[in-house]
Amino acid sequence: MVTEEEIEHVAKLMRIEIDDHKEFVDKVHAMIDYFDVLDSAGVESEEISMHEIPISDLRDDKFIPFNEKLIDTLNNYKGTYIRAPKMST
Amino acid sequence: MTKIGLEIHCQLTNLESKLFCSCKANYRDFKINENICPICMGLPGTLPRLNQEAVKKATIIAMALNCTTPDKIAFFRKNYFYPDLPKNFQITQLNIYGDTSIGGTGSIMVGEKKINITRIQLEEDPGRLIYEGSSSKNLITLVDYNRAGTPLVEIVTEPDFEGPKQVRDFVNILSDLLENLGVSDPGLDGAMRIDANVSIEGGKKVEIKNIGSFHDLEKAIHFEITRQESLHSRDISIIQETRHWDDKRKITVSSRSKEEDLDYRYFLEGDIPWVRIDPKTKAELKLKMPESISTKKERYVSKFNITPQVATVLSSDKFYSDLFEKSHTESNAKEIANIITTDLMGLVDTREKREESKITGTHLKDLADSIQSGKISRISAKNALYEIVKTGKDLSKVILELDLGNVSDESTILKIIQEVISDEPQAVEQAKSNPQTINYLVGKVMQKTKGKADPKLTLDLLKKQIG
Amino acid sequence: MNLKISALEFVQEVKNGNISAEDFVAKTLERIQSVDDKLHAFLSVNEEAVVKAREIDKKVKSGDKVGACFGMPISIKDNMCIKDSKTTCASKMLENFVAPYDATVITKLKEQDAIFIGKVNLDEFAMGLTTEFSAFGPSKNPWNTDYVPGGSSGGSAVSVSSFECITSLGSDTGGSVRNPASFCSIVGYKPTYGLISRYGLISYSNSIEQIGPLTRTVKDTAFMLNIISGLDVNDNTTRDNKNEDYLSEIDSGIDGKKIGIIQEMVGDGIDPAVLSATKDAIAKLESLGAVCEEVSLDMVKYSVAAYYTITATEAGSNLARYDNLRYGYDFSVEGYEFNSYISKARKNFGPEVIRRMIIGGFVPSAGQAGKYFLKAMKVKSKLTKEVDEVFKKYDLLIAPTVPILPFKIGEKIDDPVSLFQIDINTVTANLTGKPAISVPFVISNGLPIGIQLLADTMQDKLLLQAAYALEQTVTLPEVPI
Repeated sequence: MVTEEEIEHVAKLMRIEIDDHKEFVDKVHAMIDYFDVLDSAGVESEEISMHEIPISDLRDDKFIPFNEKLIDTLNNYKGTYIRAPKMST
Repeated sequence: MTKIGLEIHCQLTNLESKLFCSCKANYRDFKINENICPICMGLPGTLPRLNQEAVKKATIIAMALNCTTPDKIAFFRKNYFYPDLPKNFQITQLNIYGDTSIGGTGSIMVGEKKINITRIQLEEDPGRLIYEGSSSKNLITLVDYNRAGTPLVEIVTEPDFEGPKQVRDFVNILSDLLENLGVSDPGLDGAMRIDANVSIEGGKKVEIKNIGSFHDLEKAIHFEITRQESLHSRDISIIQETRHWDDKRKITVSSRSKEEDLDYRYFLEGDIPWVRIDPKTKAELKLKMPESISTKKERYVSKFNITPQVATVLSSDKFYSDLFEKSHTESNAKEIANIITTDLMGLVDTREKREESKITGTHLKDLADSIQSGKISRISAKNALYEIVKTGKDLSKVILELDLGNVSDESTILKIIQEVISDEPQAVEQAKSNPQTINYLVGKVMQKTKGKADPKLTLDLLKKQIG
Repeated sequence: MNLKISALEFVQEVKNGNISAEDFVAKTLERIQSVDDKLHAFLSVNEEAVVKAREIDKKVKSGDKVGACFGMPISIKDNMCIKDSKTTCASKMLENFVAPYDATVITKLKEQDAIFIGKVNLDEFAMGLTTEFSAFGPSKNPWNTDYVPGGSSGGSAVSVSSFECITSLGSDTGGSVRNPASFCSIVGYKPTYGLISRYGLISYSNSIEQIGPLTRTVKDTAFMLNIISGLDVNDNTTRDNKNEDYLSEIDSGIDGKKIGIIQEMVGDGIDPAVLSATKDAIAKLESLGAVCEEVSLDMVKYSVAAYYTITATEAGSNLARYDNLRYGYDFSVEGYEFNSYISKARKNFGPEVIRRMIIGGFVPSAGQAGKYFLKAMKVKSKLTKEVDEVFKKYDLLIAPTVPILPFKIGEKIDDPVSLFQIDINTVTANLTGKPAISVPFVISNGLPIGIQLLADTMQDKLLLQAAYALEQTVTLPEVPI
């Protein structure tokens, strides 16, 4: 069973402020509880794998500049830096 | 017992492009945020395009550190929020599903001490933060993403170091090794960055981050050991934590990072399939690996009869050993080794001076040959070297312009010998009974010719004159 | 002007000079004008479309080389990047995001002279199966506008089924192309994972999702695949299909093919109308010479839980980049501390996205990964093995695309777990990387039912041949809008 504290902790971890607490927590609860069915799948011994490609398929090491000035299309500070809020530490 | 482990981040500065896009790997000459593209900015919809050469260069590093190399590598996401991280996750490596990091366990020797490598991983460097105002109470943070996505290897060691001196020796060896492999230029600003884990007997492990330079590394570790010992002596327990090196105050400071920040939720990066590094590719990489520093040193000693001290200095520095390799022949090798280690190293002792220096292998070869044939003296050779480093002119031109050629004309030397004999009657008398004194007279002749008289000829003529 | 023609008919008509691309596109825009108020398929309409069409007509007239699409109007799900145009993902978070580059599928379609008529609606960041979770309001089912059109590519399905364009591109993470295709009575295709480049598709769950066409005929799907499939240097997960021609031999038939009926997808919770439609479809395939037998895939029971665990995890990570610093909406960073700023900025995500991100933070977290995420990954592995094993004996698999009929807007929006169950028949193709197609089969009491076929990895051509054979057995009424 997932606790409300755990959900609040995760919300912080994911950097999301939650309003209308009760309804939200109930729904997330229900969703996570549904995942408990995984416990009965009996897959403990299963191995995880992924599609493989040979090293020769990878991109050659070439410098190709992006042909437009990207920073102008983003939120920028006098055309140079990106601004972020102050840091806490 | 003090235990220290290191996490060394080293940029693969010799690559052309970033790890996952085609922007420049060496971002240093760009204007702010001009070495960026949709991929390294993590714009919606973009995907990483893994750099083949980065995988190869990182594999070579693993081989040089005697690490195991896996048959296939996998990438993982390390999830955390920080403004220098465009995607708010870093693509890195781990060994969650078998050994899939670019390098497995290995080791290198530091003197008599074996330092074990835990793992090597290939990952992307974040951007750079600039704090406006004071660093603690800044009002705004500015971000330059030119560095974001630069290929980085992280070398993780076991806590095998017993003190700061060992750490320094290891870092020097590693730095020389990486440079010798042609994968990185560790001297470039920010190319090699190190975190240290320090613990003393009975205490918890403390991680020190943000150590800016090699020089500060030793200081930071030293400070941290002293701090921990001081706590221990007062019966205050040492807690497991992360501390930052404060560059200005030269102390370590506790980082108030909250517990939730430490949950990185690692999972497989689905945008990069597992990459097979087949035995044939590995063999080819091994074959192409440059000669190691220690093999090079042994070769210098055994083949050219260069002293072990000179050979050590010469082999460990890629700049000098490259010059040596380009210039030496069987007969002049020792002479060239001496010119490099006694004269050249003093002339180009900083990074800037090296970069500005105009010296080539041909220059060194000409210098050594001219000394050996008696065309110029060692003193003149040193003067010529100074000029060559500055201007890059041919040796023959330098000799002409600075009038450095040896005087080997008998009558000219004889004339000067006559002058010296009349100036130094006492010494001449002594020389007749004490052969040591004759060297003093040779020196006088040299003085008068500004070092250009052929020393062998001068000695012979002097002996004849004195009788 | 008949807007109801197929892509292949359109190309033929323009090529022969019977119609002009300009006229067709202009009429299409008029159609959008007149019906989209009721349907809300479009988030933005391309004002340049007529000008583009005129250029193509000129090329046709002057005998210049013209791309294979001949100015065919296509709608694009608004989670794919078209350079210099808005790409919102139906989210307030990206309301002002203008893409600085083209997705690979867009580049390929541009090269073939397709015309992008507009960007279409979806559940925010493709998370949903009703299009109700769009931040800009739901789309409506053209068969009955009180009903959901399915999702998340709801806008794509609505625009194609109600003649607001000829074809559309959607994306399918757990059924997001096939589900709305089934609900709107058109063809929806989820290719083999890696057949179509995802470069420029805004990721929701990148390890299992694919772009797929939504069309009115199976042949049109094959035509679209010919254009947009294949290896792409920008996507390391793409596969080389050797320029396969999916249209040629599409009428090969299915005589002698072995088809497995997935038991776990026709059991509990299936609507009787859907079950009977499935039985009809099987009978029709048998009458064409196919051999149909029941097969069992044990892991299907766990597939939805595994699917939501994996997708939430990947989504939590993929959506982390939306911190409003580099792009986003107007909200100054001044006066805030970093963490509090982005936590506030990210409140612009809608409730379903927030729920999934919270789950995506929870299930792979250090304390829980073993219980949820790792098990989900293992279910994915085992399910893939089971399906691989079945394909050693069978050429194709069959099941209804969705176990229930389209339902009313608002009916299930407050019950996320009951929405989960609706995905049970579609997520298997995504978790295993296999190709799957939804073919419109019958209209039951005014609501569409689609039949799903699956094939083995890279057997997309065989799958299209089977789908074409099934399609030829049915005649469907015209959409009542």
